[in-house]
Amino acid sequence: MDEILERLQAVLREVFGDDEIVVTEATTADQIDGWDSLMHVNLIIAVEKRFGVKFAAAEIAALKSEGENLGNFCQLLSRKLAAKR
Amino acid sequence: MSVCSAEFIVAFLVLAAGFFRLPGAGSRRAALALANVVFLYLSVPNRGSWIALGIFVLSGYGVGRLLLRRPSSALFFGYLAAMIATFIVIKKYDVVTPILPVAVLHHSLVVVGLSYILFRQIHFLVDVLQAQIPDFTLGSYLNYQLNFLTLLSGPIQRYQEFHTYWLDPRPLATDRHDLLLAFQRIMVGTLKVSVFAAICIYYWEGAKNGINHAMSGEFALTRRFALRNFVTIFYLYPAYVYFNFSGYCDIVIGAGRLVGLKIPENFDRPYLSRNMIDFWTRQHMTLSLWIRDYLFTPMYKSLAERWPRKASAAVFLCYFVALFLAGVWHGATMNFVVFGLLHGLGVSATKIWETYLIRRRGRAGYRKYLQGPRTRVVAIVATMHFVALAFLFFTPDLNNTIDEIRAVMRAVF
Repeated sequence: MDEILERLQAVLREVFGDDEIVVTEATTADQIDGWDSLMHVNLIIAVEKRFGVKFAAAEIAALKSEGENLGNFCQLLSRKLAAKR
Repeated sequence: MSVCSAEFIVAFLVLAAGFFRLPGAGSRRAALALANVVFLYLSVPNRGSWIALGIFVLSGYGVGRLLLRRPSSALFFGYLAAMIATFIVIKKYDVVTPILPVAVLHHSLVVVGLSYILFRQIHFLVDVLQAQIPDFTLGSYLNYQLNFLTLLSGPIQRYQEFHTYWLDPRPLATDRHDLLLAFQRIMVGTLKVSVFAAICIYYWEGAKNGINHAMSGEFALTRRFALRNFVTIFYLYPAYVYFNFSGYCDIVIGAGRLVGLKIPENFDRPYLSRNMIDFWTRQHMTLSLWIRDYLFTPMYKSLAERWPRKASAAVFLCYFVALFLAGVWHGATMNFVVFGLLHGLGVSATKIWETYLIRRRGRAGYRKYLQGPRTRVVAIVATMHFVALAFLFFTPDLNNTIDEIRAVMRAVF
């Protein structure tokens, strides 16, 4: 999970153009400056490309909903990566 | 049947009083299903409409079953095209009536809540196709689509939320206070619809009739009369829409709590919005989220993946198209095209302005700019007026609206 979070942090830094972004599993979208609906889609596009996975419409929506954090994002990514193998 | 009528509220309270006294999930589901059938019986006007409703909803279930067995984008898109074409014909959209044969349009089908059924059906099938709904039953699907609390005007609930409830309807209100809050919500909603919205529409109609009488030559349209009536029309219609729709939502959300169903919120002080994008996160929120998830995101994602360098330009187009279609969805007449165009322009202009400010000031500077008290007030007032301007085109007779605006302009300037 740590490895996924690290890779996710790298993608976040690239998408938001901010090398100082540091995240934990508890980080939420509200805590990252500029993470609006549009940037969320840009992030999803970048994550899909980097990790070689695809997200469903309902998953994209759920990842931005209230109460979600990067820990849940990593868990979903982990499940998708496991399903790929 | 209106959910704000005394008959509905009394009948619903009788159902709610006995609902959790019924033993087990099966009997509660049966009671809800019976309530849905009775509500439909009172709302569907003729046999043709029953058949159209049945075909529309059951075909969605059938296609859902096929997609569950074998996911196929071709089947989904083919059915989507057929569903939208049927929707346009049933609703008799003005934009297609000149090109369609008269025989096709000569029907008396009135499918209650069809606009909302369409949105729920698209969401349901996309989620089945993308393996987000692992299984469903005919009972849960039909009662989701035809739920008497959300059939007529939403809020647009997601199938997964309803399905969890349907499996085992349990009380949401945990104590007396919670129960009282649910009753209070129904009462506030009833007040909003029956008193505040009724007052707004009464004076709005009076002002509109006044201008129309003057336009027909009954008396001269003086500057003062034109200005007073226009101001009444301009401000009271948005107030009417808010009281009427948010009041309806209060009633169904409160009623939902009494039978254990959590219905999503639909309003969050929309007239305090700071721009048009903010407005759509506060007004008719379940529609906005649906548009975001099933229209804007797939559209922008597909364009940005195909042409990454043009993604920043594509975003304005996607905002425009998404909100334009949302506007057009509101009704079949040409005025909704204007309404949609204004909202499409409003949200894309907001995004252009935001992009410009971020480029010029940086994200931190943009945040500081937004926090300025003067900026806040100006933004709220400007947004509220743009919304009111768009609402001028929410009433069906577009030519009459344009004539009224012209007449008022001539009298005032």
